[in-house]
Amino acid sequence: MNLAANLRVIWALGARSVKQTLRRPQLLAPIIVFPSLLLAIQTGGAGRAVDLPGFPQVHGFLDFMLAGAMIQSTLLAGNSGGIALAVDIEMGFTDRLLAAPIARFSMVLGRLAGTAVLGALSAVWFIAIGLIFGARIEEGVGGALLMVLFVTLSAVAFGALGAAIALRTGRASVVQGLFPLVFVILFLSSAFFPEDLMLEPAKTVAQYNPISFIVEGIRDPVISSLSTRKLFEAIASIALIGALSIWLSSIALRRRLRIGG
Amino acid sequence: MAAIEARRLERVFSGGVRAVDGVDLEVDEGEIYAFLGPNGAGKTTIVRILTTLLRPTAGSARVAGFDVADEPAKVRRAIGVALQEAALDPLMTGRELIRLQATLHGLPRDEGRRRAEALLERVDLVGAADRQIGTYSGGMRRRVDLASALVHEPRVLFLDEPTTGLDPVSRKAIWEEVAKLNADGTTVFLTTQYLEEADQLANRVGIIDFGRIVAEDTPGRLKAQIGRPHLEIKLGDGAVKRAQEVVGRFGRPLPSKDGAVLVELERGAAEIAPVVRALDEAGLIVEALDLVEPSLDDVFVAKTGHRLEPAEASEQPE
Amino acid sequence: MGWRAAMATIGALVRRAGNELLRVPGAAIPGVLAPTIFFLGLTSVFGHLNALPGFTSGTYQSFLIPISLMQGAGFTGAATGVNLARDIEQGWFDRLLVSPAPRSVLLAGLVISASLRSLIPATVLLTVGFSLGVSWPGLGGLAIAIVIVLGMGTLAACWGMVLALRFKSQSAAPLMQAGMLVLILTTTAYAPLALLTGWLHTAARFNPVTQVVETARQGFVGGVTWGNTWPGLLALTGLLLLLGALALRGMRRTAI
Repeated sequence: MNLAANLRVIWALGARSVKQTLRRPQLLAPIIVFPSLLLAIQTGGAGRAVDLPGFPQVHGFLDFMLAGAMIQSTLLAGNSGGIALAVDIEMGFTDRLLAAPIARFSMVLGRLAGTAVLGALSAVWFIAIGLIFGARIEEGVGGALLMVLFVTLSAVAFGALGAAIALRTGRASVVQGLFPLVFVILFLSSAFFPEDLMLEPAKTVAQYNPISFIVEGIRDPVISSLSTRKLFEAIASIALIGALSIWLSSIALRRRLRIGG
Repeated sequence: MAAIEARRLERVFSGGVRAVDGVDLEVDEGEIYAFLGPNGAGKTTIVRILTTLLRPTAGSARVAGFDVADEPAKVRRAIGVALQEAALDPLMTGRELIRLQATLHGLPRDEGRRRAEALLERVDLVGAADRQIGTYSGGMRRRVDLASALVHEPRVLFLDEPTTGLDPVSRKAIWEEVAKLNADGTTVFLTTQYLEEADQLANRVGIIDFGRIVAEDTPGRLKAQIGRPHLEIKLGDGAVKRAQEVVGRFGRPLPSKDGAVLVELERGAAEIAPVVRALDEAGLIVEALDLVEPSLDDVFVAKTGHRLEPAEASEQPE
Repeated sequence: MGWRAAMATIGALVRRAGNELLRVPGAAIPGVLAPTIFFLGLTSVFGHLNALPGFTSGTYQSFLIPISLMQGAGFTGAATGVNLARDIEQGWFDRLLVSPAPRSVLLAGLVISASLRSLIPATVLLTVGFSLGVSWPGLGGLAIAIVIVLGMGTLAACWGMVLALRFKSQSAAPLMQAGMLVLILTTTAYAPLALLTGWLHTAARFNPVTQVVETARQGFVGGVTWGNTWPGLLALTGLLLLLGALALRGMRRTAI
């Protein structure tokens, strides 16, 4: 099959995964509902943190927290995508795809395309509710677009990781079980609070956690003018995770094809 | 007293779907009554109403003398139910399930255990009694479901498609068990899409289509209403016209099918020999001969205008 | 049904619910892991909030642990709702409905198992908490916290059941979890009332669960007094009566 045909397949599979997620509350809730709820609650509950010495200069606590909610949503979108792929494997839908003359990796790329779209949509959602509830994006429209870009690219990276696990294990319950791990990673980063103000040992882990760099990249346009260093660190982290997970998912796919699932 | 009665029973679902469209029913104590109809005909809906799982939107029904809408608790005490969904828990063992059922019916602990053991024997599941139901085959699951429905010795037993999806051997085993139960006096109400099952088991059959009973009688009388048996004769040299003249003396000729000569016989099998002799005397060679009895499928077609089982004939046991 | 038979039925249903934990390897882990991770994570992340004026307790861990205990109970109870939805989808629930066991007995059986199971994450949380420096609440404070855990587990189970009976589908699971999350966190969960900002301050003032939180919290942050205890118990009882009644009504209307 030529490139154009494969692209059509990826488009079709991507559209399918977006529709699937939008139609099933169990898949959509972790991406939109839960992070929004937590954002609202944490902003209201820990809002006075801005008074702590050492807290970065922000217009409001919401401005700080927005990035955390977005990265949470993106990680969970990757997890959701992995669960959906594992369900496809369990139900035999992937066999249908593999029996067709499509490029083998299109199966994964289609899923990633869908996750990217969901990531972009969730980014727009959070920017919108952030603005509605009084947040201010320092870097304006350009900053907002940058945020959407980072989230979309991260969604692909995390989605590939979810896909790798789905392909390797073939079981939705295993991918689902990684849900708590997502929160562990989030808590061990600067998603919800400035690194310097966290307690050890989380503080040290957060300083080296690539997720922290990505969060700072998303947060930067909101709370201050762009810092090229933070931009670079964020892109490098996304690229690193992305490259690793795409590699993992391709070997997982090859293994599955070899063994026969 | 009628074991099951229904008057103008109706169930309309949201969206206007008339799943049950005015059903009258009367099943005597000790009878085996079968509802025969395709998927979606309303069989399961009626069973759910009679077993108090669903309320009718109009009409009334009484089971074991109690009204299903006004006295559901009393109905539940008197009935045993084995539903199509085989409401089983894969993590429980067979023994645990039957014991749980006994507890749900308020049986004292020792009595419940005693009955569970007896039932496990009866359905031949003693060996598998301590294995989790998740490991059971389809036939075993139906047997444990049936056993649990019997633990409180119900007066009326409801079986919703009891042998759908089972192999012929398991199917026969269930039939034998049902016949034995009925011999002990239990009224049995079953639904099925298998003609053979209705034919074999039931005292009376209700043919149900689109939520209505379109015919109701004993299997024999239903078949007799439709027609008499006919002979299908395949001839060696294809001399159809001449053969038709010959057999025409014995009964009403029917339009020939696939080159075979068909004749309806007045008295069935007894007339086969004379027909063959007559063909022989006329110098016609009979290659194949088949006596075809009207089936409930024919009854179904006659009453509803469409076939019951388009491609299921191959699934029926010999 | 006589009371002995009712007790036997409730016992059998609780045992059956226990099978899920005992016979499925690793089934207890999510229920335990999530609240523990949240406890550890939130205290690491927000621990310095304790430095704000207005926090009178010793450590943030001690302040937060009653929330984690309640979240654990909420999660466990909501999972009971998900299990019921699954049982409805797969037909098992019909077996219970067709039996002559009264609906209230069936409800009790389903809900009591959730309540007892809430003790599992609670035990793990307290163990982890104490080893990390959570102050010992005294026997009175501990007893109160346990009572509240049991009560929240029951409450969450009733909520889960109401949704399961209404939607008859496992896709209602996020609503079950989210409902409990919102109920428990729109309180003085993360900070004392004076430090809450905006809408949350208002919500926490009127949310009856705030009383429950403060009652559960008292031993961990200070002394236990009757004056701090009765409002929380009253609020919990009121909520239980409300949701219990809704759940029972849902059970009785299953034939509609």
